[in-house]
Amino acid sequence: MKRSATVLVVAILAVGLSYRQSFSAADTDFPIYFENSTLALKSQTVDKTTYLPLVDIVKHLNLAYTDATAALTFTIQGQNSRLALTPGSAFISLNDRPILLQNPIRHDSGQWLVPLDFLSQGLSRVSGIEFRYRPGDLRVFAGGANPAELAMNAQALGSTTRLTLRTGSRIDVEVQRETAQHRAVLLLKGKPIDPGRERLDYKDRLVQSIAFEDSDGVARIVVGTTDDVRDIRITAAEENRVFFADFIGETVTEAAPAETAAPAVAAKPDAAAPNTNVRVIVIDAGHGGIDSGAVNAATLEKDLTLAIARRLRAALQSRLGASVVLTRDSDVALTSEARTEVANNNQAGLFVSLHVGYSPNKTDAGSSIFVMKADFNSGPANQPPGQRLFLPWYMAYRINQKASEGLALQLQQDLNQTLPGWKFPLRSGPVGVLASVTMPAVAIEFGNLNSDVSVQTLVDPVFQTKVATTIAAAIEKFVEARAGARSQ
Amino acid sequence: MKKKLPRHLKFGLIALGVGFAVTLGLFVDVIGRIQSIVKEKKEVAEDAFAPPKAPLYNQTDPPMPVKIFFPGSEAGDLILPAEDQTIFRSAELANRAKQVLQKVLEGPKTPGLFPSIPKDTKLLEVFIDDAGVAYVDFSDPLSANHPGGMLNEQATVYSIVNSLTYNLPEIRQVKILVGGAEKETLAGHLLLLPLEMDLSITNVKKPPQEQVAHAN
Repeated sequence: MKRSATVLVVAILAVGLSYRQSFSAADTDFPIYFENSTLALKSQTVDKTTYLPLVDIVKHLNLAYTDATAALTFTIQGQNSRLALTPGSAFISLNDRPILLQNPIRHDSGQWLVPLDFLSQGLSRVSGIEFRYRPGDLRVFAGGANPAELAMNAQALGSTTRLTLRTGSRIDVEVQRETAQHRAVLLLKGKPIDPGRERLDYKDRLVQSIAFEDSDGVARIVVGTTDDVRDIRITAAEENRVFFADFIGETVTEAAPAETAAPAVAAKPDAAAPNTNVRVIVIDAGHGGIDSGAVNAATLEKDLTLAIARRLRAALQSRLGASVVLTRDSDVALTSEARTEVANNNQAGLFVSLHVGYSPNKTDAGSSIFVMKADFNSGPANQPPGQRLFLPWYMAYRINQKASEGLALQLQQDLNQTLPGWKFPLRSGPVGVLASVTMPAVAIEFGNLNSDVSVQTLVDPVFQTKVATTIAAAIEKFVEARAGARSQ
Repeated sequence: MKKKLPRHLKFGLIALGVGFAVTLGLFVDVIGRIQSIVKEKKEVAEDAFAPPKAPLYNQTDPPMPVKIFFPGSEAGDLILPAEDQTIFRSAELANRAKQVLQKVLEGPKTPGLFPSIPKDTKLLEVFIDDAGVAYVDFSDPLSANHPGGMLNEQATVYSIVNSLTYNLPEIRQVKILVGGAEKETLAGHLLLLPLEMDLSITNVKKPPQEQVAHAN
């Protein structure tokens, strides 16, 4: 008795499980983007495969079809080809030649359902339209639909969280705030969007979630926000290919001049102050945290670099009105990668890394201005650059090599002039923080921590301010010269 | 009073017991095998780091003049002047490289020049691959005891890179390892990728035997 009861229970469980597996159909929206139209479909997931309603697609394409429900065949008539489908079979026949799909055609409750690979394997051959999708994607692009690829990135900048959107072509962004639902919706208009990722794993005090959503054919980014968000501002850059969505927490006093220079008008091409093409400048205070850098009995390199970086931020904000971002504004350790990430993610126009020197000789002056070594790592043991399919990240500096050298030269001129007795030779080397940045970048090294005379000067706030204003002035000249050269 | 176990349960228990014993036996066997494999590996690994039994050069090897690069100053600036030294032209390239690095570790003899390698640093191993990349492995103090400074770090790195590539043209790039592993930088500044000779901060202008290097 007992045994048969057990058998019965196991049998019921097994049947139940298999039933669940094959009929776990869930309705979700699924768009197909055509050149001039968008078709939003209800997709069903069966056996972990996405199925689309065939009739809706065929009707949208204006193809002739016959649905012989009694004979259980569906035929689509193209210009000179004919496609026939039978339910339950992964074989479809094109002009009586069989084609094998990865998953069978389904006919559930009067509705014809086709797996995604039917589009490229079958439908494209009768319709002449190409269908493109990546496995796991929640959308299909068809024919002449030319989507803009979207890259998203989020980063906390003090009391603001900045979501950076970068697309391959021009789009418009419009923000809709839905405070009641604790979310903000960024509508992406002008082009179909191909998001690299469906969502961004990012969460902080202001932003709870960031997800791309286009199931009804309208592309948008839904950002879950907290009550701490006071304001949301969208700034466009690079002719509407880059957008900064700033989720602003409590009111910022320090960054105020930056906001006046970059009016937060949504979707307006480059509405920056006319005298500058540099919207964001990233200042890197060298070392930090457990990495003290060079050490002297009186001071540490990490403290000096942070002090000068803060003064330089103030000087740049008042002079250029640019947004200035520090890679660190506290005593924390960062890798070179993390520092360059701050610059690249903020689409910075300039990157300046601050360091303090150390020479084994106590009487050495120690200062230098470094740029990345021009012909770095292109030697015989490596492939010639032309044969490379991809450039490694540490070669990103190459795009701006000339500009970086120009910036270094300007800095050298101004620093030599305003700091009598100091000289700043130009040098180059495989400097970690300068390798992977995608904008003009230099590293400045001040003084010699092995020299007590040098240390006395370096810790002097008057000297630090002088250094900061000099660098800011040099950067201003460099930016203006570049803007002038570009407008000619 | 005593309840007799039903027969099928008794058989089941016996079968379980036998199964358990067999599994335990297999388990102990497998553990033993794994332990012996790990032991063997350890022995092999220790062998690899044993000090070389053969000397770095033979008595019959002819002397070979070399230039070793050490930090020094010129007009208040740190540069990397070369010091003339002598090694012996041993048959194996790796042995010549080890001799050069020994000179770098020993430090300069000329007054006014400074040691380029932090104290307590040891050379662990040198390996040169077919493409001419020398992998030189130093002990942890190379990074841990480095006093820092971008230019000073450049002096340390290129003291090693230039001394090897300048004197041994077969070596085209040098990859510095620390404690047997890759490290991003020594003191937070310079990428430790495979590096080529850079004479721009030295007082030496032309690499020697350029023709020889290309003929090889």
